[in-house]
Amino acid sequence: MKYALLIYENEAEFGDRSTAAFQAHIGRHMAFSQSLGQKRIGGSGLNGVATATTIRTANGAKTIHDGPFAETKEQLGGFYLVEAADLDEAIAIARQVPVMGDGSVEIRPMIGP
Amino acid sequence: MTTAALELAFRTASGRIIAALAARFRNLDVAEDAFAEACARAAKTWPVDGAPHDAAAWLYRVAVRAALDALRRQQTRERLTPDVPPPAATAEELLMHDERIVPDERLRLMFICCHPAVAPDARAALTLRMVCGLSVPEIARAFLVSEPTLAQRLVRAKHKIAAAGVPFELPRPESWGERLDAVLSTLEVAYAKAHEDAAGAGPHAGYAGEVMQLSRLLTALIADAGEAFATAATVHYAEARRPARVDAEGLMAPLSEQDPALWRRELVAMGDAFLERATELAPQHHRTIQAALQAAWCARSSLREPPPWTPILELYDELLLVRDDPIVRLNRAVAVAEVAGPAAALAEVEALDGERLANFAPYYAVRADLLARCGRRAEARQDYRALLALDPGPAERRWLERKLGELE
Repeated sequence: MKYALLIYENEAEFGDRSTAAFQAHIGRHMAFSQSLGQKRIGGSGLNGVATATTIRTANGAKTIHDGPFAETKEQLGGFYLVEAADLDEAIAIARQVPVMGDGSVEIRPMIGP
Repeated sequence: MTTAALELAFRTASGRIIAALAARFRNLDVAEDAFAEACARAAKTWPVDGAPHDAAAWLYRVAVRAALDALRRQQTRERLTPDVPPPAATAEELLMHDERIVPDERLRLMFICCHPAVAPDARAALTLRMVCGLSVPEIARAFLVSEPTLAQRLVRAKHKIAAAGVPFELPRPESWGERLDAVLSTLEVAYAKAHEDAAGAGPHAGYAGEVMQLSRLLTALIADAGEAFATAATVHYAEARRPARVDAEGLMAPLSEQDPALWRRELVAMGDAFLERATELAPQHHRTIQAALQAAWCARSSLREPPPWTPILELYDELLLVRDDPIVRLNRAVAVAEVAGPAAALAEVEALDGERLANFAPYYAVRADLLARCGRRAEARQDYRALLALDPGPAERRWLERKLGELE
């Protein structure tokens, strides 16, 4: 099965991208990505919610908004797409995903083959 | 005669058959539907042809065929998807060469129904349905929810299991700890439901035996998990005391007033054996200490012997070190009242977070008793009335009404 691992972290934890802490975090992601090998089928980090634009559909009309779809304490900061035998393997992989500070990794099965 | 045979097969083997079907077809809905189909065919053919020699094996065999038919029909309907071969027989089944014996997959199913990815409030209900074979109305009555609510909870849980890819295998060894804890907690929830009704006449009581059997099954299959032995011990001790939980007049008898002569000694002995193993494997585990508390009670041999309050209090002190929560503190207060007096105990109960214990019947019961013993009768009456509003079983209701009468 294919799963999306959605990483929710508090952007405020990251601070300036030039900091050593941020660089170390990126390093952890690169190492994790490498360790996945063939099981990684996609994924990326995302720029902050300050750069987000949302198109909302309501009553058939589409409107463009500045910002993410919802203001939350933790934001979607990146995702991995992985191939796993079952949910237990996906959980084992998701446990290894580096998270900055407190945060969550949501595991969602992908639709289709 | 044949209706009786079907009922007997259903009572004793339905859980095992449904679990075996679910493991084989890796689909909980297919298992349930196929089992229902097999029962319907049995109801039709057994009165004509007579009941088969091995009713459980017959039901399993017919259900396997019904499941294969259903899957074939589904494939024909969904022609666009490539042909999926019928699921292969499980290793256990292959070992048996034929289907005369129903493979025992209940342990595997228990781990699926109690997967941490399944909503906690659905785990116990799903386990009782898929592993014990209880019907939706039976489970709904035990959990005090309407049938549609429970049915919906089960549908959501089954859908999650299928769509999220919960594996139909026993968990990998590295995730044993967390997974076993979820299974044991589920068994405890299921047993607590069965235990609420002291008289054992209500709908909850019927499956207490099933839960006890599952607790034994766990220890047989996971021989090195101390906490599983501890849960089995607790369930056996509690079940041993069932005959003494209601007095001659049909009133609930509190633990300290139960006649030990009525306790089922063979179950106490089994509890002792489980506790011994738990103590060897996991002496500090909270489940082991909880089982030791039950053991301390069950060691009492007659009503002439004073209740073991001092060792009970010591065990609660030990338990607090590994598990400090309001429920442990509440139970400990009962022992404090006997050792240090009701005023000291009431002070501890009043320090607890009442909000977290709202609607928790033992909280009101303990506080009411302490308030009454401290002479605060009006407040005690209020707590007893709150308890009656929580819809207790018949024996508990009569006991509460008498208590309330004494305070009027």
